[in-house]
Amino acid sequence: MKQLLLTRLLSVAPMLLLVSLFAFLLVHATATDPVAQILGQGASAADRAEYARKLGLDRPLAEQFLAWLGNALRGDFGVSLYTSLPVAESIRERVGVTLSLALAGMAFAVCCGLPLGIAGALRQGERADRLLNVLVSIGLAVPSMWLALLLSLAFAVTLRWFQVVGYTPFAESPLEWARALVLPSIALGVHAAAVIARQTRSAMIEALHSRYVQALRSRGLTRRRIVLGYAVRNALVPVLSVIAIQMSVIVGVSFVIERIFAIPGLGTLLIDSVVRADYPILQGTVVAIACFVLLVNLAVDIAYGLVNPRVRAD
Amino acid sequence: MKRLLQPVPLVCLAWLALLAALALGAGAIAPHDPHLPAIKHRLASPGALYWLGTDDLGRDTLSRLIFGARTALLASFESVGIGLAAGVSLGLAAGYLGGWWDRVAMRLADVMQSIPALLLALALIGVLGKGLANAMVAVGVIFAVSFLRITRAVVLAEREQLYVDAARVLGLRPFAILLRQILPNIAAPLIVQASIALGTALLIEAMLSFLGVGAESNEVSWGAMLDTARQFQSQQPLLPVFPGLAITFSVLAFNLLGDVLRDAMMPAGTAHPRAATLAPAAPADTPPPPAAEDALLAVRDLTVAAPGGAELLSGVSFHLRRGETLGLVGESGCGKSITAAAIMGLLPAGVGVASGSIRLGGAELVGLPESELRRVRGKRAGMVFQEPVAALSPVHTVGRQLVDAVRAHEGKTGRLSGRAARERAAELLAMVGVPDPRRRLDDYPHQFSGGMAQRVVIAGALACEPELLIADEPTTALDVTIQAQVLDLLMDLRERLSMSVLLITHDLGVVADACDRLAVMYAGQIVETGTVEAAFARPRHPYTAALLAAMPRGEGSGTALATIPGRVPPAWDWPAGCRFHPRCAHALPGCAAAPVALADGVRCRRSGELHLQGTA
Repeated sequence: MKQLLLTRLLSVAPMLLLVSLFAFLLVHATATDPVAQILGQGASAADRAEYARKLGLDRPLAEQFLAWLGNALRGDFGVSLYTSLPVAESIRERVGVTLSLALAGMAFAVCCGLPLGIAGALRQGERADRLLNVLVSIGLAVPSMWLALLLSLAFAVTLRWFQVVGYTPFAESPLEWARALVLPSIALGVHAAAVIARQTRSAMIEALHSRYVQALRSRGLTRRRIVLGYAVRNALVPVLSVIAIQMSVIVGVSFVIERIFAIPGLGTLLIDSVVRADYPILQGTVVAIACFVLLVNLAVDIAYGLVNPRVRAD
Repeated sequence: MKRLLQPVPLVCLAWLALLAALALGAGAIAPHDPHLPAIKHRLASPGALYWLGTDDLGRDTLSRLIFGARTALLASFESVGIGLAAGVSLGLAAGYLGGWWDRVAMRLADVMQSIPALLLALALIGVLGKGLANAMVAVGVIFAVSFLRITRAVVLAEREQLYVDAARVLGLRPFAILLRQILPNIAAPLIVQASIALGTALLIEAMLSFLGVGAESNEVSWGAMLDTARQFQSQQPLLPVFPGLAITFSVLAFNLLGDVLRDAMMPAGTAHPRAATLAPAAPADTPPPPAAEDALLAVRDLTVAAPGGAELLSGVSFHLRRGETLGLVGESGCGKSITAAAIMGLLPAGVGVASGSIRLGGAELVGLPESELRRVRGKRAGMVFQEPVAALSPVHTVGRQLVDAVRAHEGKTGRLSGRAARERAAELLAMVGVPDPRRRLDDYPHQFSGGMAQRVVIAGALACEPELLIADEPTTALDVTIQAQVLDLLMDLRERLSMSVLLITHDLGVVADACDRLAVMYAGQIVETGTVEAAFARPRHPYTAALLAAMPRGEGSGTALATIPGRVPPAWDWPAGCRFHPRCAHALPGCAAAPVALADGVRCRRSGELHLQGTA
């Protein structure tokens, strides 16, 4: 287990490096010149060269990358070209919001997907299972933003159970924070719930038809004990990998959901930076989000090791 | 092809064909100009002029939907096309070149996958500028990763195959080898994945356009229509309905089509044809074999039927005395394991006892509810399986599985403490000869060799000291050197625990070593019963004689082993008359005429006249 942890931790470092390189090159592949962006087209050639030297743009690419990486490691991602605020500051302000939303969405997805998948497997081929399959197919096809619009129209605009837009930080009021997240996290989690339910169902069916379940039955264990104690634990192994992939998907889709509920997360920052060609923000956000996804994958890898002894042994 | 003609895939194909037609002929089909504002008709409800209403600028919703189909399909096919081209070629290269190429490609794939698709698309739009064409390049890059993984996996598998090497020897160039041998094999998974990717691409296009960084203002996108709906849905609640439905149906169609294609192109086994009618009833076995007074297990006229009505077992009768070992012998597919499953109440779903009786210690098991059967399992009858490692849960320690077996029959009172149950589990391991039992309780099944794992399975079966042990091919999957040890252990435990053993095997050598009596099964029937000595010395059924002739005897005489021509027919195709007659060397025309009854321990019309060769 220790070794697994160590190798996984070590494998994150080169991944982060590659992601950083990607984020860095992204900007340098751009056709637009950041200097012209800042100084405007009217600036003189001398002024431009001067400013470029100030930004370090005249140095070799590798040197620039190392300098940028060094700063990034110290938490300095430069300043926004548009607001002149430090990028790290803007990201720090919003990262909690995105994390809240993404984790709440995943929590909804797991809480729905796992039990539904298990229930479907236990009633394989029955009416309830067929209904579940239809629901899963629909859940996979419904666009999250449409679902968000419909939920908002029904429960916020019409029934007034929730606020139509807005977000309250946890520190201000945990209750309002939770309330603001209900509709967004449902809209965000339905797709992942469908994916998880489908994977859980097939993994559970495989487990329930396995030889070891037959052996457990032959020893007189109750069905309840076999399902909850053995089949679910075996089915979790493939489901965990799916959860890791879905986490990345959910973070991406959260940008869309943010817009509908006017939640001030990383997505709004990112889209603004895309529209305004605010490259430092773009770089910083890409690295921050990739970091988060890598950390989630690491956590899932460790959970995978806890569930699956064969991985632990290697 | 047949699977594509079912209602669901037909509806999907019809919907996608409609979309394609709308996309191609949008200009001719759409009733209005999708960009033409008509402010006085803004936010109109569906009516005669605007069938689906209008948006905030008075533009016709239906026309915009029709032009949106063009945008959606173009974007989807662009990104999937890019993904396929890049992913397949990189996957072929990585899988075939291997080594560093492969490692670098896979690390890059990992990095790409750690960046959410939507983020990558946004980042590339940030760099390349707004617009759908740029956005879908980004999405194509994401798809390329999954196509790369599929292709590489197939290439790695195929590379091991002999025929690629053979092609290399024949002088085909590597590239030609790749294309000719590998592409046909990856076509099926790629087509399935591409269909699902088309749905995903459609969703991403809608999201990007919704965010205002996808479709430009001169293009019409369902996602952008949803963004309009977001702003004006309080004034016109119907606005989000139509674009939302269009996206949902289209993604659903691509997904369901992918599912159907997967089922059609990657079959996971063939369905059993259903038996048209039940076989004619066999004459009663005369006289019914008398169950001895001291029989622990008495199976009488047991008939087990599959869902279609095919008889897996037809009138099986045998008994097992206390302390006795009965060998149930026959080739695979004769119904031996079904017999064991019927006794344990573990028949597969849909398979059931049609008639007959199974009495264990005098108590009838047929018709008992599941809760009662559970009390029998493990407590009164235990079972050992052919593949020991598969019979243990891979993610639970051996100790946990044994402790649960020990505790399976605890009542509300008299519960063992955790420590006592663990102690008992260790005793069980010691009893079956696992060295260092206390420490090994914390090991997982994959840490046991096949022989040791079978000892663990035996310990689990004996946890509650059942009177009957059913051993279904307990040594077949083990190394030859281990087989004898496990068989000796079983015989030793039978003595020590004074159990009765029903030993299922196709190996007459095992029967000779371990059994007192045998029952020979063929095609769902018992064809001969008797003592091992008598049956070996003078078999009375041609099938028994054929099995004996096919038994390796270690004489090293160099004579070829006799084999039984043909194979056991499937249950829905049992032959009429004597079920063995098509393979029988002694069959006469009359053998096919009528079912044969089991008389005096043998099911053969000619048993009185044949003098069959035994082992003596």
